[in-house]
Amino acid sequence: MLVSFLDSVKYVGHLVPISFLRIFLGYYYLQSAMLKYTSDFLNKPKIAETISEFLPLSQAPEWYKVIITAQMIPQWQILAFLITGFEFAIAISYLIGYVVRPVAVLGVLLSLNMIFIMGPAYEDLNKTFLALHLVMAWIGAGRCLGVDYYFYKRRRGIWW
Amino acid sequence: MQHFIIFIFSIFFVLVLSFFNRKAVVDEAQKTLRVYGYSSFTSKLGPGFDLKKKFELTCNCRVEFVEAADSGVLLQRIKLEGATLGADLVIGLDQYDLQKALSEINWRKLDFSQLDIDEIIRPALSNSYFVPFDWGVIAFVGRKEDPLPAPKSLKDLTKSIYKNKIALMDPRTSSPGMQFLSWVYDSMGKDEGEKYLEQIMNQAHSFSPSWSTAYGFFSKRQVSYVLSYLTSPLYHQLIEHNNSIEAFTFTEKHPIQFEFAGIPLDCKECTLAEEFINLMLSDEGQKIIMNKNFMFPVIKSAQVGTPFEPLSKFNHLAQFKIPSVSDVDFLIKSWTSIRRGEKNAK
Repeated sequence: MLVSFLDSVKYVGHLVPISFLRIFLGYYYLQSAMLKYTSDFLNKPKIAETISEFLPLSQAPEWYKVIITAQMIPQWQILAFLITGFEFAIAISYLIGYVVRPVAVLGVLLSLNMIFIMGPAYEDLNKTFLALHLVMAWIGAGRCLGVDYYFYKRRRGIWW
Repeated sequence: MQHFIIFIFSIFFVLVLSFFNRKAVVDEAQKTLRVYGYSSFTSKLGPGFDLKKKFELTCNCRVEFVEAADSGVLLQRIKLEGATLGADLVIGLDQYDLQKALSEINWRKLDFSQLDIDEIIRPALSNSYFVPFDWGVIAFVGRKEDPLPAPKSLKDLTKSIYKNKIALMDPRTSSPGMQFLSWVYDSMGKDEGEKYLEQIMNQAHSFSPSWSTAYGFFSKRQVSYVLSYLTSPLYHQLIEHNNSIEAFTFTEKHPIQFEFAGIPLDCKECTLAEEFINLMLSDEGQKIIMNKNFMFPVIKSAQVGTPFEPLSKFNHLAQFKIPSVSDVDFLIKSWTSIRRGEKNAK
């Protein structure tokens, strides 16, 4: 696995800049997830408060606002766990380059939701992340400097 | 795909395990009283901070303030968050919010009819769900050394000498702004009131979104007069030792503003919330509110011997009423159309 990790630079070296972006993004998500884990994000209804405050300003479709109000806000603890868990998953996946493609799709969904629920201050950032996750999924950014190259060589398929 | 599923499951498995194993950041055994209030009440400079410190000494609990910019946002949040988050106590609604609050949220009944209060407070206790904790008289404030003659009535404010010298507030976002709007209609009637508002639109320096912004214009001498409270000069006298600020008595009777506290029916720490209200209405609590908010206390004894006492005898007051939702809607719609210039266009 280590050999193929190094081999990836030789065979898909053109993806190194993308790998740099992937690792940087992974580091960002790791910081964000750690902050959520160490603060009281999981204990206190911070996320529900944020959503309640910004929902009237959100450009989300009405049916989605109904879901947010009826499901997400009352189940804030599950939502907080899902957000933190997905951020950890994206962080680890991007840092080591493992299952990057499906995780990037997860990142797209996460960013899309965050655009609607986190308020105008984070809207542009999440739109940028959405585009970055799409690029990661499209390219298969785990193939260079990542574990994905090992599986890609042996199994092929759209998941690597 | 199998790798992905195992990977995600592992992440969540580790996250859940570590969450339950880690030492809690907050001692979960301790109860938390969640108090929703406006920012100038809950900030360090407001009465909320001292009340919180005092309450935490005896309640074996934590008080957590949740801030909102204004009462509209406050109600919206409570409505959305509902029982899940449990607002235990809501502070800072005024008489214009009460009917809306009653129609949108279920509240716990409160009985404070036995309080030793001034007669002027009695009408504010007529409802069963909200209790007033302070009150103020709306008045225009200016400087004694100002070369212009002091305005004596609302009509005077439309004189050309006061053009761009008055700071007002937008009634859609500011409680004193709403008081002003209601003051105009109550004292002049609908038709004349509308005409007056059309005139004042061009006359005022600004219609700020909040009292603090408008008062900032006055403090920085960008305007000569500001809509504020009868007690505002006391702040300058007691804190800044500046005796040059005065509040004007108008020929029209001055409106009274009450600030209310209420406990939503969905509260989780309802007993603590009632205890917190009891603290707010105690002699000590009332003094904290009076000295930090610069508003009159509702309990008689709290202001005895203080500079607030003579001012509270001011009796040129309009009758207190709790407006209905449709009354408030009318005021807002009327204001909005005049502001947009729609009334002029007719």
